[in-house]
Amino acid sequence: MTDEAGDRLATLLSRAGLGDRAAFAELYQATRSKLFGVSLRIVRERPLAEEVLQDSFVSIWNHAADYARAKSAPLTWMTAIVRNRSLDIVRRTREEPDIDEALTSTLADEGAAPAREAENRAEAHSIRDCLGELEAEQRQTIALAFFHGLTHSELAAHLRRPLGTVKTHVRRGLARLRDCLARKGVAA
Amino acid sequence: MKLSLNAAQELSAAYVLGTLRGPARRRFERMAKEEEALAALVRRWEDALSPLAANVPPVDPPARVWREIESRIAPAASSAPPAASGLWRAFGLMAGGLATVLLAFFVWISSGPRGEPVFVAVLSAQDSGPRAVVSMHEPNTLRVHIVKPWAAAEGKSLELWVLPTEGSPRSLGLVANVSGDTMIRLRTTDARMQGANAFAVSLEPAGGSPTKLPTGPVLCSGAIAPVRKT
Repeated sequence: MTDEAGDRLATLLSRAGLGDRAAFAELYQATRSKLFGVSLRIVRERPLAEEVLQDSFVSIWNHAADYARAKSAPLTWMTAIVRNRSLDIVRRTREEPDIDEALTSTLADEGAAPAREAENRAEAHSIRDCLGELEAEQRQTIALAFFHGLTHSELAAHLRRPLGTVKTHVRRGLARLRDCLARKGVAA
Repeated sequence: MKLSLNAAQELSAAYVLGTLRGPARRRFERMAKEEEALAALVRRWEDALSPLAANVPPVDPPARVWREIESRIAPAASSAPPAASGLWRAFGLMAGGLATVLLAFFVWISSGPRGEPVFVAVLSAQDSGPRAVVSMHEPNTLRVHIVKPWAAAEGKSLELWVLPTEGSPRSLGLVANVSGDTMIRLRTTDARMQGANAFAVSLEPAGGSPTKLPTGPVLCSGAIAPVRKT
């Protein structure tokens, strides 16, 4: 997403915060497909993803006035609401999760094509560079957790690795990400 | 409970990544709500990781999702289709309480010292009736009449915003939280009034919003009604 498009979303959010329904409708139109896609990866069932999108947008309407305090890019703020709601309501089955290997491996490839629309290009590059610094298994584990919302035990089942190993990959991978992002001035 | 820096780092990362689940996730959420430092760590991880979400292929949700959202955020008295008409939240309420609003307006206007205003807006809160009346008087006075002040606003400021048809809300200044009038010097030709179609009052930290946009809850809002041509 370009800065201009991000500014437009920020404007729409601030208007929605003051009760402007037309602005809120436009905000929904501009972001629904992306956010539905994000939720669907995690909850995997369309009815559940629809519920997540509904709950999330009702929450966005109710909290739009708080957005300015969050100091995040608008899509980051909205994505966090959708991911949190998805992780809250995801219904786990015993079946093997349906993993999109292509998506997961986009991250694993050094030469992966850049995101079609990175909200903030500098940050998108930082996170990509930093993921590139991780060991392959750490990177794959983190990508599976982020995109598909897998728990530690689901990760272990999918990767056919002991639970403890998976937990270590996640923990060390995140710590290395943090060090790298801090070097680039992005994260804590 | 106070977390060590290490634990705070690890938990906030696991929370945003999504591997922190179940009761532990909810416990962490409660802690982050109370502790600003923890909330800041979460925001930084969200800023760092969320660009990855741009890689997820978009999927169009069915139209019923929006219909359901609309019905869940609709003001009780409104049946107008909001997307088409662009009605304000408070405006929907006005339809229900029009008689009260008009009565309040006429009582107020008859007590006013000046002549007929150029335009007027009645600002309502979602859970109650009209709370403020804003009117523009020539040549350069915007009069903000608070019908009923807000309780529990101590140490905070009320800020008046004008909402243009396009673009972000613009601040017109602070308003005293007392029954009665605040006069704001403002010309009808002021740039901030370009394309104005509604007003809103938000609750802000003392001295007003630290950003150029409203940061606090909206206390009341209402659409502008022209009274006569300028």
